[in-house]
Amino acid sequence: MIVIRALVLLAALAPTAFAQSFAVHATKIHGPDGVVEDATLWVEDGKVRALVRGKDLPSDVPIREHAGEITAGLVAAHSYAGVLAESHDDTRSVLAESRIAHAFDADSSDLRRALAAGVTTLVLSPRPETLVPGVTAVAKTAGGTLLRREAHLAIGLDARAQRINRAPTSPAGMLAELDARFARPTGAFASAAAGRLPVMIAAAERDDAERALAFATKHHLGGALLHTELAGELVGDVQRAGLSVIFAPLGVGAEKRAIDSVVALGKAGVPFAFSLDLPFDAPDALRFSTAMALRGGLERAVALDALTAQAARIAGVQDRVGSLAKGLDADFVLWSGDPLDLGSRPIAVYVDGIERLGGAR
Amino acid sequence: MYPQAIRRTVFGTVLCVAVCPTARAGAESDAQPKAAVRANGAVTLIRAEKLIVRPGKVEERTAVLVQDGRIVAIGEHLTAPEGAREIDGKVVCAGFIDAWSTFGVDAAALRDERVSAGTQTVDAWDPFVDERWRLELLRAGVTAVRINAAPNGKVGGVGAIVRTHPQLDEAHAILLRDACVALGVGISRGTRGLDPFDRLADVDRALGALSDGESYLQDKIDYKHELEAWEKAIAEKEKELDENAKKAKKDREKDKAEAEKSGKEFKEKSYKEDKRPKAPKYDDDKEVLARASNGELPVVIEAHRALELRSLLEGIEKYDRVRWILAGGSEAVACADELAERKVPVLVSPALLGQFRPEEQRLAEPSLAGRLAEAGVPILIGSGAGDALGARDLGLVAQLAIGAGLPREKAFEALTLGAARAFDVADRVGSIEVGKDADLLVLDGEPLVAGTRVQFVLSAGDVVVTPEQ
Repeated sequence: MIVIRALVLLAALAPTAFAQSFAVHATKIHGPDGVVEDATLWVEDGKVRALVRGKDLPSDVPIREHAGEITAGLVAAHSYAGVLAESHDDTRSVLAESRIAHAFDADSSDLRRALAAGVTTLVLSPRPETLVPGVTAVAKTAGGTLLRREAHLAIGLDARAQRINRAPTSPAGMLAELDARFARPTGAFASAAAGRLPVMIAAAERDDAERALAFATKHHLGGALLHTELAGELVGDVQRAGLSVIFAPLGVGAEKRAIDSVVALGKAGVPFAFSLDLPFDAPDALRFSTAMALRGGLERAVALDALTAQAARIAGVQDRVGSLAKGLDADFVLWSGDPLDLGSRPIAVYVDGIERLGGAR
Repeated sequence: MYPQAIRRTVFGTVLCVAVCPTARAGAESDAQPKAAVRANGAVTLIRAEKLIVRPGKVEERTAVLVQDGRIVAIGEHLTAPEGAREIDGKVVCAGFIDAWSTFGVDAAALRDERVSAGTQTVDAWDPFVDERWRLELLRAGVTAVRINAAPNGKVGGVGAIVRTHPQLDEAHAILLRDACVALGVGISRGTRGLDPFDRLADVDRALGALSDGESYLQDKIDYKHELEAWEKAIAEKEKELDENAKKAKKDREKDKAEAEKSGKEFKEKSYKEDKRPKAPKYDDDKEVLARASNGELPVVIEAHRALELRSLLEGIEKYDRVRWILAGGSEAVACADELAERKVPVLVSPALLGQFRPEEQRLAEPSLAGRLAEAGVPILIGSGAGDALGARDLGLVAQLAIGAGLPREKAFEALTLGAARAFDVADRVGSIEVGKDADLLVLDGEPLVAGTRVQFVLSAGDVVVTPEQ
């Protein structure tokens, strides 16, 4: 473990150690203010220096040509990548002070697989199989960077967290336990109650979601619902509660109702993103989800946002990643074509301005 | 789901066909309704900016005339006959065929372990499965699917190609009742993987099935020849006896009298020609396997690991007429050259497999289709047997394969003419040619590209999807 930590530290130092200025010129770049055609992304010291039209740059900046499109690196709003073995303790229903960040294995093959699919940031989460399984973290898929050690207080409020052999055994019991914790909050509960730590409430079914929304409203909690397939059918309630939604990926054969639910949130302007529950899911599941939703009527801009900026906001790391705005980390993907087309693939993936996939690694 | 007005105009005549008793009777008979014409009188003229006649052949600014369910004319200067419905489209292409689906097959039949080679999948197929689901498939451009009972079993029975049209009677919905026979090799059940000996036993079982079919076929051929020889010998003997009838009669009476006199039992004279050759015992499984062994029916064998694939390649070599389609083929790259040489099409299902996948698919990669195509292996694509509604996502599944290296035109071919040819329905569907059934799509852009929307779908000549829906 010490060796891994040391490696993580070294890797984390790498971007600054190899600081440089370069640029990539592409047919289209999806910037913070929309698509810019015939554009160049200028990177300096691992950060986005500028996004310019044409090649309007100082002549000493080397430019890489890319006949394709560029987006910010994709962000998965929930995942078990590299932490699966330590993501669950079934013996105690409340472990609010447990930090999934401690289980982060920067060398996990899950991270490499995610990176190869253009995913550069993941929210690492404990499994929602107990009432309060712990605190999530946000990590990059290359370089070992932990963007946030404490991202959300994870709460399991659906059937997955119920057991017959330990309390709470029912939805009412779950809410009673949580209400008690929030009545005189300490530790992570206090942070959540004060608005410093968003909550991530697993609520798979509609009735779970209704309970979760009422609970969040009662305690003035901000954050997101997790895996709420039919959140779109409760769009008004979700909006009133001010929560975001993290959908499970839409896979082959997903119900039309689930697809319509995503489209409905998009139309209403409710922030949402997708989870990539690695290693259970294939990394392509993230873009497959948006492809399904696009076909179902979701707008392109909203779909791309759900994969990048919106997911970064839900993760609370929008000041670091999720967009190609000036000053943000230079985490981006060179796509062979339209990033929302499953027929396109990542040609290269950069994290902190370093090419981590494709060409010279 | 349909607005009432559309239902009336588009399906008015179709419903008549559906309830017509003679059409039902036709469906129940064993005869294949080859290129059944739907004499519904509906006429549609589709003008296309770009017509993809078949993979690799494109015509600009032309029109397709559809009448009675079929394509009756294609040409630049076609005009719409009076009363014809007119559709203007950007890109027109053949409807997609999902080569690996469970759509409409009874859920229990999918898990049935008693399925044998002779099991007819259409017997477990419900042509009236939820219309909303059928519309989802059609809106995604999927006009036909190949179905097989017990898709994950060792034997999947006789597979069929059926349409997804929600308002068809069976005679028109079933494109081909016996499109293939399906076998599975080394497929784990649930989480339990098979050890190498079990897997090789599966290979032997699959090859044994072909061998049984071949022997049965040979027995039938032998019997036919023996019967012919016997009939000839009988005829000759009868002629000979006829010629000597008087003498024979006299001899018989004499023998009979002698027998009576001596108190013995009289025995009729026997001839060696009296012994009629025995027909081989009828066996419906072997009937099907016989057709598979001589190449009449394609054999879909699902196998994944290199071990099974190599053993199959080696064992199948002597059956040079067998038309083998390899389904799955997770490790097929290991023997891509042999598959290419033998022209074995590989039916891939580029599903989204996470880490917890069936053991035999442990090494499956989305790049499989692209790498095999590069080696010259013909590619077919199916949504897989995971979910009945998966057929709706066939286009997206194909796009996954494209993203992982399969050329777009190869993917398009796999979804249209490639599938039609592999399963012997290319005389009906798979391309847009005069005389073929009108199963086609009108798109607002190139097929298999994100953002392209299906505007109209024709199935058996009926307009079953419109942009308003």
